[in-house]
Formats: sequence, structure tokens, C-alpha cells
Amino acid sequence: MHPICKKSMLEIKNLHATVGGKEILKGINLVIKPGEIHALMGQNGAGKSTLSNVLVGHPAYTVTEGSVTFNGKDLLAMSPDERSHEGLFLSFQQPVEIPGVSMVNFMRAALNAKRRYQGLEPLDAAAFLKLMREKRKIVELDNKLTSRSVNEGFSGGEKKRNEIFQMAMLEPTLSILDETDSGLDVDALRIVAEGFNKLRTPETSAIVITHYQRLLDYLKPDVVHVLINGRIVKTGGPELALEIENRGFDWIKEESEHA
Amino acid sequence: MHNLSAVNPIDQYIELFHTQRRLIDANSHPVLNVRRKTAAAAFERLGFPSRKVERYKYTDVAAAFAPNYGLSLGKQTANSRALDNTTNSEDPALIAALYGTLADVETDAITALNTMLVQELTVIHVPADTHKEHPVQIVHTLRSTAPLMQNRRLLIIAEAGSHVQVILNEKADEQQDFLTTQVTEVFVGEGAHVELYDIESTSARCHRFHQVFADVAAGGHFTQTAFTLSGGLSRNQTDVRLSGSSAEAILLGCVITDGHQHVDNNTLIDHRAPGCRSRELYKYVVDQQSTGAFAGRVLVREEAQQTDSEERNANLVCTDEARMWTQPMLEIYADDVKCSHGSTVGQLNADALFYMRQRGISEAEARMLLKQAFAAEVIDTIPLEALRPRLYALVENRFRSCEDCKLCK
Repeated sequence: MHPICKKSMLEIKNLHATVGGKEILKGINLVIKPGEIHALMGQNGAGKSTLSNVLVGHPAYTVTEGSVTFNGKDLLAMSPDERSHEGLFLSFQQPVEIPGVSMVNFMRAALNAKRRYQGLEPLDAAAFLKLMREKRKIVELDNKLTSRSVNEGFSGGEKKRNEIFQMAMLEPTLSILDETDSGLDVDALRIVAEGFNKLRTPETSAIVITHYQRLLDYLKPDVVHVLINGRIVKTGGPELALEIENRGFDWIKEESEHA
Repeated sequence: MHNLSAVNPIDQYIELFHTQRRLIDANSHPVLNVRRKTAAAAFERLGFPSRKVERYKYTDVAAAFAPNYGLSLGKQTANSRALDNTTNSEDPALIAALYGTLADVETDAITALNTMLVQELTVIHVPADTHKEHPVQIVHTLRSTAPLMQNRRLLIIAEAGSHVQVILNEKADEQQDFLTTQVTEVFVGEGAHVELYDIESTSARCHRFHQVFADVAAGGHFTQTAFTLSGGLSRNQTDVRLSGSSAEAILLGCVITDGHQHVDNNTLIDHRAPGCRSRELYKYVVDQQSTGAFAGRVLVREEAQQTDSEERNANLVCTDEARMWTQPMLEIYADDVKCSHGSTVGQLNADALFYMRQRGISEAEARMLLKQAFAAEVIDTIPLEALRPRLYALVENRFRSCEDCKLCK
């Protein structure tokens, strides 16, 4: 199951981070290899979203200690847009509405910025629209939605499908799904999860942040981590998520306190 | 060329008028000469408005008129030939009957100064029930070998049931100082429809004053759109009188400023008759050290029952040095009306910025897209749909050239 012979894609070492002067991450260590899906579980406030925000370079978060390398490069030295060009993608817990900026202009700006970074010519309008059509199908996103302003007037489920659509357009190598299952009904969850699975390759990895087993039923993580109070206190296989589903987090908390 | 010295601007303008009256009159449409004397007396009495004058409190007028400009009083030069004392009306009696009847020289100094010195008159006269299929476009391109002052007059007469769209484009050579005053009088007859689009793309060395006076008769419609894309000091003052029942006025403004630009929009919508409707939307993007001002007064008189009025001013202030003054005013004397007014001042949405950056869009590009989106609301509101693509392009170019110069980075 674990392709140990492969080089690691993401290496987080002793990562400490603060927001508003308060330390949230207190020494995270994590290694992700190409093709792996890591689930990150834990109660509210444990630091899951902070970790994802720190990885994508949100300006409100300050790294105070530790390092993160992504494909051998110093991730923390890069701007948010460079991190995106390098293949990092965050499916936002709360996708932002941007009135007045059309989905088309938004995606074209994003895709062509990445192509420029890769030394490629920008896509012409026809090729771009064709690509939009193809990728839309992956998450069954309506044509009407992609002709609107970014996320404006989208339902909760549509917003999450739109996140996976953008992921399909940008073809990241490491995706972070931050509670992508929250606010989704059973059908929307299936569409989002199946869309995500269609995009998987042996080279692409993901960090899946969730409270629930049902998303993991679809995504089948290789590794499950439990985050408590800014540290990863327990790591296991897919069975750990099932155990948490049945027993909650308290037993892990006690275990870690007595360790 | 007659030079105006910077020593005491008021005296210099008045002296110029008295000493050159013959030359001014000789090279003007005769209708313009009738009101000069009254205007001169009013200007002498009023002087340049200080900041204590309510409607001028956001703009230092005397400073704008102080530099040494030349006036071309003789036969108009080739540069302004396109507008050289032109009228397309065949009804001089009508022009004489209406000219200067809306533009009040007794209370407004800029209007008085313009009326005293003006030599260029453009008349757009649309006879009753005539629909002008294509917009009338007037392009002013300011070019001069020396600093130049220009005074202009536009008279729009839309008789009952007529329909006309007018586009004003003002551009200026970036290497020269210009001062322009324009007074526009708009007579909207019963059931007539007038749209006036004023697009300024001048330079940092240009001072521009535009006073618009409109009267809308019963069932008439007047739209005015002021796009200030670039300039030095721009002041647009618009007074609309809704004098017949069920008349309508829409005032729109889109202002983009940077450098040391100053843009001041001052409006008055006077609801004088029942059942009239007015809408106002002004949006500003104020960057670098530039300053913006908006003051909009909506007056609903006692007889103006069933008035329906909305006024909104929204502003993006992009830097710590940029300043915006906003003053929406609503004055109601009728008791059965629906009126709202409000203003907002804010910065670009940080969450939207970060969302875009996570998708790989650079900060500069993301900021530009958000500013364009902000301005787009005004463009999307203008009735002349054919003009929208050009305005989108002008606004995008305006923001792009700013981002490219990197002065603000």
C-alpha cells in the first residue's frame, strides 16, 4: 500500500504557527508521498484548518518554527500564487463569493497565470472554453453556474462542486480538502467524492480534513492522523477513522496524555 | 493668446472680459453675447467659491483657476474647429429663448464665469417625436502649445416625445496644462428621452469643470453618466429638475483616481412634481494619494407626492493616503414618498483576494479584477448597451496601465 520507494512530496517538520498571537500549531510532523491520501481528523479547534491555511500561505497565519518542503522546494518561502503554480490546491471550507468577477474570467486568469509560470503560452478563448466544458462534466456543474460570478448565489453543494471543478481545471498534485463534506447532502457528497476520485492519478496526493467517516468511505485514505491541540497524536490506517466514528476522540486524548 | 496672470485670478478674468469684450463678442454665436454682462456682474459679486460655500467645500476652486492659462479669443484655431461655434439647429429663436434659462449665473460662480467668457456653442435640437437612431458623439481633444483655458456650452433641446443619446468624450495632451469649463443645459420635453454620457480621459495636468442643468417635463426621462477615468482635477455638478409628473432621472458615476487626482461629483435632484422617480449610483476607486468627493442632495418638495428615489454612493479606498468624502443628502417635505440614500467606504475584500491568490492569480491581477468588478456595476446599469463593451475596455485599460507602471507597488 505505501509506496515507500517513492520520494516524499510534502515534508512538514516541527511546524509551529500562530494566528492573532495565539499558538495553534505546536510541532506538526507529516510526510506525504505521491499517490497517498491522508485523512486529518480531530475536534474543532485542534488546528486542522490552521494547518491547511498555513500550507497555502494565508497572510493571517505566522509560522514561528519548523519547515515545509514541497517537491524539494521551501514551500514557506513562496507566495500563495506560487504555491498554487507549484501544484498546491485548497478546497475551501467556505468558498468565497466574488460578485462582478465571472467564473470564466476568474478561471482564465488562474489557468493562464499557471501556464505562464510553466513557460507555456496562454490558452486561446476557444481552447479555454472547451476545457471548461470538459471539466464541468466531472462534477456535473451546470453551464449556468459557470457563466455567473464566482460562487455568487451558489447553494452550499454547488459551491463545493465548484471547488472540485476548479481543482479539475488546475490539475494540482497536492489537494487539501478542508471539510469539503460539510453542508452536503448524500447525493452532493457522492458527486463531489466521485469527481475527486476521477481526478486521482498515481502522482496526485491529498490531505482530507473531515469529522466524518462517510467522505472517507468514498476517498479511501491510506493514512489517518488525529490532531489534538496542535499536534498529531495518533497515526494509523483507514481502520482508525472507523474506530473514531464509533468511539469518538476522548480515548485518543487520554491515551496521548498518558503516553 | 491672452494670458491670465496668477496674481489675482478673479480680477484678471473680469479685466480680461472688460478689455476684450469686443473680440469675444465678434467671434461668438450672437446668442452667447446676450447674457455676458449679467454673468460678469454675478461673477464679480460671487468670486471664486471658497470652501465655505456648501456645494464647493470639497474642491479648492480658486487654486484650480490660479495658474496662468491662455485664452484663444479670436477665430477658433484648427484644434477646436470641430466645435467652432457650431449649431445644428435651424431655429435661432428657440435657442435664444432657452439659452441660459436653466444655468443659474446668480448663485453659481463657475456658471457665471463660463457665461461671461464662453465662445463655443454646440446645440443638439431634436424636434418633437423624432428618434435619433444613433448616439451623437462629441469628442474634445485638448492640444495646445501653451497652457490653455477653454469655455464651452452645450445646449440639448429634446422636444416632446423625442429620443436622443449624446456621448461626450474629453481627452487631453499629457504634456500641457488645460483648464476647461463647460455648461450643459438639457431641456427634456414631455415624454422625451435624453441620455448623456460624459467620459473624461484627460491628463493629470487638466482641470475640468462641468456644470449640467437639466429640466425634465412630465413623463420625460433623463440619464446622465459621468465616467472620470483620468484627469487632474475634475468637478461635475449636476442639477436636475423633475418639473412634470412621472418624470424620471438616473444619475450614474464611475470614478477611478490615482496619483494626485481629485474628483468631485456634486448633484441635486429636485423633485417638484408628483410621481417622479430618481436613481443615483456613484462608485469611486480612489488609489494612491488621490482624493474623491461625492455630495448628492435629493430634494422632495411638498407637492412631489409618490416620489420614488434611491441614492447610493460606494467607494473603494485603496491606500492609507487616499481620501474620500461622501455626503448623501435627502430632504423631504412630502409625506407619501419612498426614498433611500446611503454610502459605503471600504477596502478590497481580503477573503476574495486570498481566494484568488490560492488559485494562482497574482496579487496585482487579483486586485485589478476586484476593482474592475466594483466598477462594472455602473457599466452594467447604463441604458446604452452598445457602449458597455467600450467602457469595460476603457476601465480595464485604465487599471492595467496603473498596475503596469508599478508606482503604487
